Amino acid sequence: MTVHMKRHGDASDGTEAVGGRLSRVDGPAKITGAAKYAVEQRLDGLAYAVLVESTIAAGKVRSIDTDAAQAAPGVLKVLTRDNIPPLKTASDWLGTPPPDAPYCPLAHDITFSGQHVAAVVAETFEQAVAAAALVKVSYDETPAIVDLSDAKAGDGIPIDAMTKEWGDAATAFAAAPVRICAAYNTPREYQAPMEPHGLIARWEGDQLTVWEPSQWLDGMARTYAEWFGVPFENVRLVSPYIGGGFGSKALALGHGAVAAIAARMLERPVRLVMTRPQTFTGYGGRAATRQTVTIGADADGIIQSIVHRGVNETSIDGMWVEPLGSTTSIMYQTPNFSSRQNVVRVNSVVPGAMRAPGENPSAFGIESAIDELAYEVGIDPLEIRLRNYAEQDPHAKKAWSTRQLREAYAAGAERFGWSKRSPEPRSMRDGNQLIGWGVAAGTYPVRRAYGEAMVRILADGSVEVESSSIDMGQGTYTILAQTAAETLGVPADNVVVKLGDSRFARAGVTGGSRLAGVMTGAVHKAASAALDELVGLAISDQRSPFHALQANTLVVANGRITSPRGEGPEVSIAELLASVGRDRIEAKGDTMPANSTAEERYKNYTTIAMALPHTEGDYSRYSWCAHFIEVRVDEDFGTVRVSRVVSALDSGRLYNPKLAESQWKGGIIMGIGQALLEEGIVDRRHGRIVNNNLADYLVPTNADIPDIEVISVGIPDPHSSALGGKGVGELAIVGVAPAIANAVFHATGKRIRDLPITLEKLI
Amino acid sequence: MTSKTRIPIQLQINGHRHELEVEPRVTLLDALRDHLDLTGTKKGCDQGQCGACTVHVDGERVLACLTLAVQAEGRAVTTIEGLAEADGTLHAVQAAFLEQDAFQCGYCTPGQIMSAVACIREGHAGSDDEIREYMAGNLCRCGAYPHIVAAVRQAALEVAS
Repeated sequence: MTVHMKRHGDASDGTEAVGGRLSRVDGPAKITGAAKYAVEQRLDGLAYAVLVESTIAAGKVRSIDTDAAQAAPGVLKVLTRDNIPPLKTASDWLGTPPPDAPYCPLAHDITFSGQHVAAVVAETFEQAVAAAALVKVSYDETPAIVDLSDAKAGDGIPIDAMTKEWGDAATAFAAAPVRICAAYNTPREYQAPMEPHGLIARWEGDQLTVWEPSQWLDGMARTYAEWFGVPFENVRLVSPYIGGGFGSKALALGHGAVAAIAARMLERPVRLVMTRPQTFTGYGGRAATRQTVTIGADADGIIQSIVHRGVNETSIDGMWVEPLGSTTSIMYQTPNFSSRQNVVRVNSVVPGAMRAPGENPSAFGIESAIDELAYEVGIDPLEIRLRNYAEQDPHAKKAWSTRQLREAYAAGAERFGWSKRSPEPRSMRDGNQLIGWGVAAGTYPVRRAYGEAMVRILADGSVEVESSSIDMGQGTYTILAQTAAETLGVPADNVVVKLGDSRFARAGVTGGSRLAGVMTGAVHKAASAALDELVGLAISDQRSPFHALQANTLVVANGRITSPRGEGPEVSIAELLASVGRDRIEAKGDTMPANSTAEERYKNYTTIAMALPHTEGDYSRYSWCAHFIEVRVDEDFGTVRVSRVVSALDSGRLYNPKLAESQWKGGIIMGIGQALLEEGIVDRRHGRIVNNNLADYLVPTNADIPDIEVISVGIPDPHSSALGGKGVGELAIVGVAPAIANAVFHATGKRIRDLPITLEKLI
Repeated sequence: MTSKTRIPIQLQINGHRHELEVEPRVTLLDALRDHLDLTGTKKGCDQGQCGACTVHVDGERVLACLTLAVQAEGRAVTTIEGLAEADGTLHAVQAAFLEQDAFQCGYCTPGQIMSAVACIREGHAGSDDEIREYMAGNLCRCGAYPHIVAAVRQAALEVAS
């Protein structure tokens, strides 16, 4: 369909340049229903697969009776461990060579409730659903470790790589005049993207095409290729739009293997989409965590020592480490520090990445604890943060590349009206509502990587950008159009950005808030090369109208080429290309070192092993933020409402403030959910998540969210990215939950150290 | 269930008549997405909890995942694909969603927009709090809520004028 719309900004007001507030270029497709998400492709002969999952948390499958399902109308195949070909174990996301062992995505040994044990493929979705209910699985059940508080769970395994220590934290703590010590817990939380995980898999010979929502096409293609023992080039991932990921769509998962196996066995394309309940066990959410934070300080609230111990859950046979000391170790100037971490195996799916893994729960601990210290010594919670401000990275002992946190505190406090805060708990109220004001800071490292992009200037003067990176709502389509437009001197309207196809220029993972910095750099480099070639042709080609001018350079602006001083002709890019007999200029640019080998390039895009440390060289690179939050707590019922949020954030230079503000607000809203609503509840008899749906696992609704004000305090950071930006997507969730917990304490005098803060904890 | 148990139905969708043969248990949502290739209506939970599948049936917002296709026979169904005018002119709510950046991933967006159109028509867009309440059945995990409220507020004014 043709979409006619008012243009939102043009080149004349700077909207289209990098840093301009251009509306989403993929917006028209999304608001008209024209945007086709991965599993919405229409394919001839499509068959439908539905998963059958374990109903016990530990034990073995004794038998699977598939007779009734196999005989049901329309059923093409019932897959179990016994009738599918084994795959090869794939390497992990670091590229670690895998054990030479078979991999089977349908389980026999059960280690968690909800594990895939069978799948039914049928001619229609309805037939597959009906037949899946006829699969009868019997088990030999053994006792399960249901969660961290299970008596069988134990203390877990020390993760030495997480240990961070300097000074003598224990001695300094013992000697400190003011000492606080508290334990902070966060529950299992779930990414819950609105688009469930799923895929369509199709084989043509030994070529596999997978239409699947993906935060990492090249990484997932690598896994599929290794599973099936086919060359990487034989696997094509297609993921044009992604209906939310939040960390959960970066890796190829068991259900994907099941669908691809079914497609190969049936020689038909197969669609498999998880049901919403299956999304709670088909992959991992955020691990449940426990932390103790002890702070020793002097009477003025100056920190002398922090001792931090953390625990997160992992699965019986998988390893997930949620780095709980990450924020703890860098937020405040600390002469003595000790952080250690264990992981504990429980009968759960292996946990995974969810928006700011590590920094988020870490901040709940330290940013609650510093608030407790503020009350202990009688200092304003904002003032104590400034007194302990880290002027350099206390752990890496390096200068910050940029740290606008002091500016964030100032701007947020000013806008929020923090100076009007009455310091005593329970001292502010509005009728029956106790009012509390809380503050907390957040941070997220700048994760950097090498990137690649293809930029083409076409015969009509339009520009095409291609990358196998993706847009799950962060605005990749838009900011890459802006980057190419600004670099080449064309209107953003003339740039078409194509993403989400692994046949395009390669891209690493879209995770850790790295994509924008990586890809704007790559597109800038490729577009610069294309521009150089264009201008070079215009100057030196004998057929060019500029040839006689003998200019050193030319200016390209708004799609037209002129000489810097204005003499000579003015021609469009299309006219110039026609005059020199070219139908296109094509430049593939990447930011890898020039002598990189093909193997290094493959490794760079299909693993995370070549990511650049955020403390590389002379600087420590982080984004920063400060949240100021007002809550209203009903004195009788203990219900908590967030009534006001002002957050000031330092993400460096913003490539598109309109879209960055949306991501920040989204992070804050997910943080409100984390603080007040979100908790995976385990049925202790069966080790099962009982609230595995969107009515019982509560995510924020529109009615839960007030207006939110975000303020950008960032400045361009040349050490963090080519164009000066730092991470945006994960930063804003970090610190929201402690800001709310701190506000709840101010309102009620009750310190809640277990998330979520639900009413029964307050009355 | 064999193909003999398929039944012919006629659906009136976005002003066009569609004839199809489906099993009686096919939901309106799956009929739209899998049988008619109208994939703008999204499946987020398939159990009436998220609102991504919101469409209009005879002008009222309903959840297509909790509606059987046969129940929509003889009624006028409007989906996101039918909201803009025939010449492509966007509905005021669609334009406001784009201007206010009231979405990120876009997956809940068709449902949000269909709900918003009905919310305004129902007279429930009188204040920001009222919009929040009457848009609370449509979840958005990206957290576009403040911008959705702004878009509905803006569109309500435009529709009224």
